[in-house]
Amino acid sequence: MATAEIPYQETVPLHHPKTWLGKYVFSQDHKVIAVQYGITAMAVGLVALVLSWLMRIQIAFPGFLEGFGADEYLSSITMHGMIMVIYLLTAFLLGAFGNFCVPLMCGARDMVFPFVNMLSYWVYLISVLVLLVVYPLMLFTDIQATGAGWTLYPPQTITAGTPGADWGIVLMLASLAIFIVAFTMGGLNYITTILQARTRGMTLMRMPLTVWGIFIATFLGLIAFPALFVSAVMMLLDRLIGTSFFMPAIVSLGQKLEYSGGQPLLFQHLFWFFGHPEVYIVALPAFGVVSDLISVHARKNIFGYRMMVWAIVAIGILSLIVWAHHMYVAGMHPAFGFFFATTTLIIAVPTAIKVYNWTLTLWRANIKLTVPMLFALSFVLTFIMGGITGLFLGNVIIDIPLSDTYFVVAHFHMVMGVSPILAIFGGIYHWYPKLTGRMLNDTVGKIHFYFTFVGTYVIYFPMHYLGFVGVPRRYYETALGGHFPDWYPVSAHHLNIFITIAALIVGAAQMLFIYNLVHSYFKGKKASDNPWGANSLEWRTPQTPPSHGNWDERLPTVHRWAYDFGVPGHDTDHIPQDVPRKESA
Amino acid sequence: MLIAAILFMVVLGTVIFNFMSPWTFLELGSNWALIDFTVLVTFVICGVAFVILGLYMVWWVYKYRYVPGRLAEYEPENPKLEARLTIITTIGVVVMLAPGLVAWDQYVRVPPDATELEVNSEQWKWSYRLPGEDGIFGFAHNKYITFENPMGIKDGDPYAEDDIIITSQTVKIPIDRKVKVLLRSKDVLHDFWVPEIRAKMDSVPGMVTYFWFQPTLLGEFDVLCAELCGRGHHTMRGEMHVVSLDEYETWLGAQLTWAEMKAGAVPLSPQALQGRSIAESNGCFACHSLDGSRMVGPTWTNLWGSTVQMEDGTSLVVDEEYVRESIAEPDVKIREGYGPEMVAAELTDEEVAAVIDFLKSQVQEESSEQVESVE
Amino acid sequence: MTDATAPSTTESILTSTARDWSSDVTTFKGVPWGKAMMWIFLVSDTFIFTCFLVSYMTVRMTVTDPWPNPSEVFALAIPNELFGWQFLESPIPVPLLLIAIMTFVLISSSGTMAMAVNMGYQRNKKGVVLLMSATALLGFTFVAMQGYEWSKLIFEEEVAPWNNPMGAAQFGSFFFMVTGFHGLHVSAGVIYLAIIAYRVGRGHYDKTNFEIVEITGLYWHFVDLVWVFIFALFYLW
Repeated sequence: MATAEIPYQETVPLHHPKTWLGKYVFSQDHKVIAVQYGITAMAVGLVALVLSWLMRIQIAFPGFLEGFGADEYLSSITMHGMIMVIYLLTAFLLGAFGNFCVPLMCGARDMVFPFVNMLSYWVYLISVLVLLVVYPLMLFTDIQATGAGWTLYPPQTITAGTPGADWGIVLMLASLAIFIVAFTMGGLNYITTILQARTRGMTLMRMPLTVWGIFIATFLGLIAFPALFVSAVMMLLDRLIGTSFFMPAIVSLGQKLEYSGGQPLLFQHLFWFFGHPEVYIVALPAFGVVSDLISVHARKNIFGYRMMVWAIVAIGILSLIVWAHHMYVAGMHPAFGFFFATTTLIIAVPTAIKVYNWTLTLWRANIKLTVPMLFALSFVLTFIMGGITGLFLGNVIIDIPLSDTYFVVAHFHMVMGVSPILAIFGGIYHWYPKLTGRMLNDTVGKIHFYFTFVGTYVIYFPMHYLGFVGVPRRYYETALGGHFPDWYPVSAHHLNIFITIAALIVGAAQMLFIYNLVHSYFKGKKASDNPWGANSLEWRTPQTPPSHGNWDERLPTVHRWAYDFGVPGHDTDHIPQDVPRKESA
Repeated sequence: MLIAAILFMVVLGTVIFNFMSPWTFLELGSNWALIDFTVLVTFVICGVAFVILGLYMVWWVYKYRYVPGRLAEYEPENPKLEARLTIITTIGVVVMLAPGLVAWDQYVRVPPDATELEVNSEQWKWSYRLPGEDGIFGFAHNKYITFENPMGIKDGDPYAEDDIIITSQTVKIPIDRKVKVLLRSKDVLHDFWVPEIRAKMDSVPGMVTYFWFQPTLLGEFDVLCAELCGRGHHTMRGEMHVVSLDEYETWLGAQLTWAEMKAGAVPLSPQALQGRSIAESNGCFACHSLDGSRMVGPTWTNLWGSTVQMEDGTSLVVDEEYVRESIAEPDVKIREGYGPEMVAAELTDEEVAAVIDFLKSQVQEESSEQVESVE
Repeated sequence: MTDATAPSTTESILTSTARDWSSDVTTFKGVPWGKAMMWIFLVSDTFIFTCFLVSYMTVRMTVTDPWPNPSEVFALAIPNELFGWQFLESPIPVPLLLIAIMTFVLISSSGTMAMAVNMGYQRNKKGVVLLMSATALLGFTFVAMQGYEWSKLIFEEEVAPWNNPMGAAQFGSFFFMVTGFHGLHVSAGVIYLAIIAYRVGRGHYDKTNFEIVEITGLYWHFVDLVWVFIFALFYLW
């Protein structure tokens, strides 16, 4: 192993700002950028949370909300979905965790191009503002937020029967395009840092799984987001200058439109070529974070590290060839059904391996039930539920009756809504001490955990059964004219009321978390350098919180993987990565 | 140890809920028993995997809880175990996939003896077309659509003359006869779905999509739209009645062919005609039916001059003042049982007058044209 | 690139690749950060153009309206007179003449760019500045000719992104969108080249190995390569 050379990154000059503005606002320090990403993502996530409350109240108590009509309902589902998937989950897992973890865990001073990294955040902020400016506009003008559903299927997106078909959709597409620019700037940094700027001794197969997850997810993003970009550009052209990429000849609400010959299905293919990898852009970093949390807090090495790495890689590659399983009922050529059902179910194998390995890591471990560990455990159970319901929907023929019902809603909330959120919470509880130098309050954290885990489970698990009954998703009202249709029994409506109440409680419980974040920042218990006894490099910085540049003059040297817990014949139960191997061992 | 208990409760609760739940598939009304079978196979395999994994988790979290000073077992990997688990998973996946693919093969291979039914969808209603005696549909395309030709049938196509046009939202089909459903859309994506039948497919403008089924259960089933199609999506419901062959023949005999429909169109006065085209181009007919059926908004049939109930309990007679107000400020007076969904239309006084002329033409005359009444 | 850790020639590529990927610090030995980042960016950009072109191909194959014949639409007539001097009986329409010239210009610019990179290896600042400027100039010429082609299409053939008198509207939509997007890439490249050439001239990179020239070159070659595909798919199909 060539460890003799002094890495270039050890001597690379960093931008040291003198002013407060340069230090905390236009900072090029990856940790500050991570916090900026995190706070922005959480703030926009709160907007989406409030939207979900409004929708749930409408579902359970139709007509209770004055002025919350079908238009508002549809724009709420659209904005909720888009915000949660893109502006919260993607931004948090890659923008916040990616920025914070990659340089620290790889032993780098910063990202390779800190200025581009800073730009990435500010462009992201612009995309968020462009997305949300629709709400003040709604108050003062006729502009509405788009109600096309987060999948934005044309022709509906830009025809008159949909709320926001005039300008709401333009804002949404513009915001997405800007987000993609921001993501690309950040993503190029993460990948280049991981590939080219690791410290001495840090081989790829010694990287913590968090870094692996972020690495492959970013790579997927760079391949998948172009498809969204292209479809957004084409749809903008359809909307603004009247091209017919996605628009066939149609008669919309009695008016013949000028379009002809376009293909609505082309959009769906492009969208899902982005949309499916997007699921893994969110899931893979969560996988990585959870792997690290389980290993550290169970005081045991992650079981089957190599298998875990290859599973991440395999999932990443396979995720590029399963997209049309979102389109089984879209009217595409039937032969696609065979291919995509098969690839989709194949992806279950590496995913299942990950679940087995998390579970097997618990075997003969020494499990500390800290708050991050609780979140990690709940992630595994939630993810199993989300994963197996995915086996239903991935199998083309089962998808036929279940698609576009609440089964789908329940499935994707479990697997890519709640699971990554649980991983994010676990990660925040885990890394907060390193980031701020203070511990989060344990009791508040546990209360928050139980409300969140049990609450989300009772929201989404029963929801699958509404799907079996056949309740379609995106219905403003299931009952029509005040009476329930035959297929929607009163008991199902009672279940919906129960789910709504649970959702209100779970949402309110998140305020505990925000309180904890703020309160502990000022009043929390002081954290030691390595409060969890973890091995990876971020816990080995000379200062807590790490200073700009992370390390002293010399970057750490890595001698082992990140999972040396409970090594026999050793006096402590963990050996950090930068502790040299004894020759005698 | 609270977490072990909670995890155990969650796993146990999941299983109990599954077996106690009154909510499940509606009674199967078609030949697609293989779908239900595949669901069952998947349920068993996934359920067993969930319970086993969940219980192992609970057990190990409990058993290997933290003891200060104890070291965990150091076992980075176990290739044999990992290989075994991979093989078992693969077998499980194959067992689930196999019946699914077999069923899909049947689903996309339409039997040659299936009769065709064309479902036309538009915001936010259904209509239907049958190929008539020659068994062949006349060519149709969205570009030919006019108010009198709502399905866009090509002028002069000889196959089109005997096509049976059903503008009602209700369609009847005979039991046990295989049906190939052809789906067309006038505007956006829709999805024709009868939960009891299990089958569904999107209708895509510019394309004809299809699926097939064989109804096996007599009854009246709701047709739902399962693809988001705009603000009236949730109101887009039709009915499919699976009936005996006799009843079907009677019903079919009462339907109009395309030729009869063209010949029988009731002529309208020029003012009423102008009112209709104003209403059409403002999208009124997406929410207001002309056949007495309920859509997002109230029907226009026999509306003029009738006494209607308002949401606030009052009632009024539909007159010029009310119509004018409802067009300009639809949120002021809401009909009983309807929501404040309507978007105001900006019409001139002459345009409103024309629409009122059309409303007047929709009193009584319509009843003779509409042979089929809902319910 | 030569480097101390470069594999000896006796090693198989597989072995050396495996060694690089399993080593610490860097995966691609001797590759500067900027160059690695440009490569990754180009991978991402490839997918943008792939999505555009695949969309174009699917629509082209399925659209029912007639598609204009490119060799007629993009024909350019050799004029029969210049400045009052008549040298031909009548104008000779040559199919794809303009495009052939445009392609020739762009490919030539790739040649000058390659020479500039070579000059960079030799640390010949003057040569770098000269050849990069020439590349930028050729790139600019390409964009200018594209502007002429667009105006000809818009004003003479009356093709617009939303309208095409010769048949399928998608012809205009895709043509303007894809060539426009490529033209934006070329324009950005011209600006990029000009800035880098200026900074090289000012001695901004004297302390480095002039990697920046190579990085700029990567981008430029990529833009040229994309043009080859656009050329084949839009003009020869």
